[in-house]
Amino acid sequence: MGRDTRRSRLVIVALLIAAFTLITLDYKTGRSASGARGVVHSVLGGVEAGVTAVTRPIGRTASSLGHPNRYHDRADRLAQENAGLRRQLADNAAVGRMSKQLGELRLIADKGQYSIVPARVIAVGDVSGTDWTVTINAGRDDGVDVDKTVLDADGLVGTVSSATAHTAAVRLACDPGSRVGARLERTQLLGAVAGGQGPSTLTFTLYDASYRVQKGDRLVTFGSMDYVAGVPIGVITKVTDVGGLSRTAEVKPFVSVGTLDLVGVVVGRPAADPGDRLLAPQPVPTTQPAPAAPAAQPPAAGTTTPGTIVPGTTVPDASTAGTTTPGTTTAGPIRSGQGGTG
Amino acid sequence: MWDIAGSADTLRARTFVAAIALLSVALVVQVSIVARLGLPGGRLDLVLVLLAAISLIEGPLVGAVSGFVVGVLADLASSHVLGQSALVMCLIGYAVGLVMDAAERSVAVPLGATAGACVAGTLGYAATTSIFGEAALTGGEAVIRALAAGVYAVLLTPFLFPLLAAGSRRLSGRPRRGGR
Repeated sequence: MGRDTRRSRLVIVALLIAAFTLITLDYKTGRSASGARGVVHSVLGGVEAGVTAVTRPIGRTASSLGHPNRYHDRADRLAQENAGLRRQLADNAAVGRMSKQLGELRLIADKGQYSIVPARVIAVGDVSGTDWTVTINAGRDDGVDVDKTVLDADGLVGTVSSATAHTAAVRLACDPGSRVGARLERTQLLGAVAGGQGPSTLTFTLYDASYRVQKGDRLVTFGSMDYVAGVPIGVITKVTDVGGLSRTAEVKPFVSVGTLDLVGVVVGRPAADPGDRLLAPQPVPTTQPAPAAPAAQPPAAGTTTPGTIVPGTTVPDASTAGTTTPGTTTAGPIRSGQGGTG
Repeated sequence: MWDIAGSADTLRARTFVAAIALLSVALVVQVSIVARLGLPGGRLDLVLVLLAAISLIEGPLVGAVSGFVVGVLADLASSHVLGQSALVMCLIGYAVGLVMDAAERSVAVPLGATAGACVAGTLGYAATTSIFGEAALTGGEAVIRALAAGVYAVLLTPFLFPLLAAGSRRLSGRPRRGGR
């Protein structure tokens, strides 16, 4: 078969030329989910959704199989029954987990009065591992469109970079090409959050050099054409540059890329800026008594209870808006054109 | 294009189709399953491991061509410049195919070649991304990820390589590989 012959050398040269031609052409024309790319995206998206749907239950039942036993008939029957019951248990656990995730997602959407389309992550990155994107199983048919904001229960995930009929690619906030307008908690100071430092670090640049950025300050999105306002981004871990015309700091995002599962695409933006109310209430210092805080802590994490709300919040009704706004979460392909022009 | 005599032609076509089909399946498995495992240190690169094994068994020509085709497919499915993984995978397939003869002499050669392919491939991806697009990884991160990919490749190769060799033998109908 093929050794390092003249022919195989010719072939590799031809392939290299083809690769460079492709790179040159594509580099010039820019990239979008149309043409061949769109076809491959939608086909692969379908396959990926199928694979994910199949492998989830397999992974769950894998642990309940593989216990050898000598009393074949009875044991087989019992094992089958056992496996069935375990699967049922695992299913119940999965359903419970799913509903908890959905509940948390709904809570954060209600707090911000966003209309969201829930979706699951069906693929992470690409084959080379250099793409900071995830693929989700909602597309144009569900109202998802390019440049919509994507969040999960913890905060900002990224923006939709391309969408096909049933899937969409989400560019994560930690992508080197991503820049997000950010606002410091409790202030109106504007800055930008950029990626490029790996999945668990973002870089924050504050445009006002006179303000002292501190470790522990939290950031929310400022809101622009692409981004809805008020989505939590992360917490500042280290101030790296204190001189010059701007200040830079390292930010640890609230969202961990590795554990992304259920996300929501914001398809309708709120009428008013939700301010800081999407941020989880900060632990109140012990010197300051917190009225009514420990008495009734609801089970869902991150719920804003009266009394634990951060002082100085820009929105006065922050404590009640969390749970009393009905019907802002859409469960399917509806309300796509509700003001969110992107 | 590659005109070799008679029945070998259909055999070769079958080899190409099988290699490309296998790698395409690995493509989906990589992004939908392996990427979600959250392996410590980096990631297992299933596609590169398979590509290296295929090149070792079938030679540089099959390696380069199937690497190129699957690379273009991977590029189409991603958001970076078209052709950059095709470039890397085609070179990896060719280079690994060159040590095909040595692979029959010692067990260490497939292990070393696969690990080397994963390390070089991961570094190649990082390098091409920083040249043609925006650097997704810093140098240190890329090296760590490349080494992790190499380690995972060494762990996986003893299981995959014999399977693929057996598959290749069945495909060609030869009793022993090579027939030389």
